[in-house]
Amino acid sequence: MTFQDRLRGWLKEPLVHFLIGGLVIYLLFAWRGEEVDPASRTIEISREDKARVSLGFERLMGRAPTDAELDLQTQRFVREEVLYREALRLGLDGDDAVVRRRLAQKMDLIAASQAESAQPTDEALEEWYKANPARFAEDARYSFEQVFKLDADGAATVVGQLSRGADAQGLSDPISLSKALDNANRKQVLDQFGEQFAKALDQLEVGDTWQGPVQSGLGWHVVRLTAREPGKVPPLDEVREDVANDWRSSTIEKRKDEAYQLLREQYDVEIAQ
Amino acid sequence: MRKSVAKWALVGAASLALAACGDSVSEEQAGDGEGAIELAEFPDRPYWGDTHLHTDNSVDAFGFGVRLGPEEALKFARGEEVTATTGGKAKLARPLDFLVIADHSDGLGATRRLYDAPRMLIRDPTLRRWHDMMHESPEQSLAATGELINAAAEGNLPEAMMDQEANEENTRDIWQAHLETVDRYNEPGVFTAFGGFEWTLMPDGNNLHRVVMFRDGADKTNQVIPYPGLNTEVEGLWDYMDAYAEKTGGEALAIPHNSNLSNGLMFQLTMPDGSPMTAEYARKRARSEPVVEVTQIKGDSETHPLLSLNDEQAGFGVKGWELGNLPLTAKTTPDMLFGSYIRQALKRGISLEEKMGVNPYAFGLIGSTDSHTSLATGDEDNFWGKHTGNEYTNKDRAMAEQNLGTREGRMGWHYLAGGYAAAWARGNTRAEIFDAFKRREVYATTGSRMTVRVFGGFDFAQENFDEDWVRMGYESGVPMGGELTDEGKSPRLMIMATKDPDGANLDRIQVIKGWVAGNGELREEVYNVAWSDMEDKRERVRGNVPPVGDTVNREDATYTNDIGAPELRIVWRDPYYREGERAFYYVRVLEIPTPRWTLFDAVRFGIELSDEAMKDAVAQERAYSSPIWLNPKPEPIMEEGNEQGAAAETQ
Repeated sequence: MTFQDRLRGWLKEPLVHFLIGGLVIYLLFAWRGEEVDPASRTIEISREDKARVSLGFERLMGRAPTDAELDLQTQRFVREEVLYREALRLGLDGDDAVVRRRLAQKMDLIAASQAESAQPTDEALEEWYKANPARFAEDARYSFEQVFKLDADGAATVVGQLSRGADAQGLSDPISLSKALDNANRKQVLDQFGEQFAKALDQLEVGDTWQGPVQSGLGWHVVRLTAREPGKVPPLDEVREDVANDWRSSTIEKRKDEAYQLLREQYDVEIAQ
Repeated sequence: MRKSVAKWALVGAASLALAACGDSVSEEQAGDGEGAIELAEFPDRPYWGDTHLHTDNSVDAFGFGVRLGPEEALKFARGEEVTATTGGKAKLARPLDFLVIADHSDGLGATRRLYDAPRMLIRDPTLRRWHDMMHESPEQSLAATGELINAAAEGNLPEAMMDQEANEENTRDIWQAHLETVDRYNEPGVFTAFGGFEWTLMPDGNNLHRVVMFRDGADKTNQVIPYPGLNTEVEGLWDYMDAYAEKTGGEALAIPHNSNLSNGLMFQLTMPDGSPMTAEYARKRARSEPVVEVTQIKGDSETHPLLSLNDEQAGFGVKGWELGNLPLTAKTTPDMLFGSYIRQALKRGISLEEKMGVNPYAFGLIGSTDSHTSLATGDEDNFWGKHTGNEYTNKDRAMAEQNLGTREGRMGWHYLAGGYAAAWARGNTRAEIFDAFKRREVYATTGSRMTVRVFGGFDFAQENFDEDWVRMGYESGVPMGGELTDEGKSPRLMIMATKDPDGANLDRIQVIKGWVAGNGELREEVYNVAWSDMEDKRERVRGNVPPVGDTVNREDATYTNDIGAPELRIVWRDPYYREGERAFYYVRVLEIPTPRWTLFDAVRFGIELSDEAMKDAVAQERAYSSPIWLNPKPEPIMEEGNEQGAAAETQ
């Protein structure tokens, strides 16, 4: 690849446009920003300045400031201006080594910001979705009935009763837990029955028999697990926002590195051994 | 004003790109969720959330070192794994249902901008020094942030930081980008992300902070910017919220917190300037602030042992915090306690209502974290720290001095692990959860996820629990947060508490009653109403319920559920009811004793706790329900001479 090809390549990169744009704006303001003469002791507040102060107030409060409020805001502005010029007189705007590091980090920030705002194409989303299906899988779903007992012995007795065909109604100790959940996702099971029980559900056989007892943080449960669906990966259209969120946050780091590599290629680096 | 542009030029360029970003958020996610999902007939379960989380957009959180932003905070709360600032992987065992990111409105993103700004363009010498400290080392960054909070508390912030107009455009950019992120993670029926901010009013260092929470999506919330705390006052905040509602058709509410650090100013009997409280002020306050955050990392504000002499459980999470205001620039004197704790505020509220006909302090209760790590964690066994400076990588954090008010006696172990808010709602949407806050059908826990249900009425009986008692509760009574009108007979509370399925068993249910007695005196009483083994092993001894016991092993920070009960339920009748007395009742549920985060730290890191810290290393976690109020039947009678009594503050 000739240098010219490479240059043409860069010039097509939106990131490069962006960096150059940012740099131009920065230099412009950094240069123009010094135009206040520190020696001048005249402060002029133009109508525009006042209008800006007034607009700021209005945006916040949803109404225009009264004359007194506008005066107060203007006096604050004057105070800042006086202190600012005094700070310039004291030479507090000198240079420092820290700037170097800061500007470098600034460049990173811009690269990251661009990724934050970027809109992935449909193809990019599709590719991301296909490459990381597990990240978008739904929770597993469960359908079950359960009888609650405060202690293990009670629960063991219930297993016997139920296997002899007893009616589950009325066998439970008093508790506010659901007697049955239908097609509930794992989070619903976790919220109500806790982690220990949810894990136990994964070990049980699906079918019509009463099993257990299994323990939870609340006590003991005799369970009939009628269905257990592993978490499916829904079609892309149903999880488009999740995929876009995931794509975006994963892309930020990559973008930083790419931006660096792009710039790094232009340098010959010699490090003394 | 032009000059200030220079220092933000680059950030400005970056945020231009953000603003240009297309709208990829679905209508459903961007709205208030009404009509988006099928709702239950009655609120059928508590939804768990944190309404008080700080990210790197908060001036102090960033200074403390956090480098995780709102996006990571939302991911984490929804149950995804994130990498914490200090490097560890973090994932919630049980995801939350809702989250309010409440970054400080003052200088929203300002420290991040200060940190990112080229040094030569920082004019203000103090800002420049802070900038340097932030870059020098994490310790120096902490110190700089401590200085910054002190300066804010003392009203000495550099002008460049205080000028909201000059910073407004920056604030707007950050706010709008933030709101878009919030909408992207909001998913009706699955997870609710609220727009919000913290309003940080702090006259002389006395904490009058509020979290503001919006019911709406970005199309409405981006029409305003967060209201600044500096140079404003609380009535201005309420006006701002009213103006927002009028302009957009949306709704906002404010949640006061850390009244324990307000030196008596949060719940005054008077107007903020000391003049008699007006009914208009009281009405505005009650309307704007339906809920108070009673417990969080910076202590618990239920009550103080000096205020509630007969309450053995008073004083949870009070140590250290009771010494003074937030930066410890002013000590707390006993007379200030009355305005600093919620039980007393609820009492003041009914006494003011007796006088003025309006109750300014008719609020419900929630807990939250106030975590400054972008991680909404409330669990004792996995404490991620108040801020990044004391994440788990700081092994000495329990015995170290806090960064504010150092050498004044506030230590790391005074931090609590943080609380959660539970909302009884018919579904998980912005509208449903916000409205639960509005009607106060919410409760606080100190981090446990126990289920607490309370109904007030006049006809409940214990047998109701065998029937469809929830329907009965809603149809013939009011849920927590509701109001009853005196019917000339003793009110009853139908209460059920179920343990956190992954947590500790329950010790007992208590009812706390506050009332205005016939002579105008303000009274309070704590009743033990249900406890484990109440029929056999733990019979009352001379009217008192014996302690539940303690299974905590101090050597390895473990406990067992051999004591306590998984669930307690009771219909309780007020035994000291007197017709015509204005009263409130709220429920406190206690778990059996468990290790606090400090004991876990001591075991994990092999550090030695002081005797005092060790005594505090085991505690009974708890829940506080919102109150139910009992109002006298309205009678058009004016009585003379009860004004003095109404203002009296006695036990």
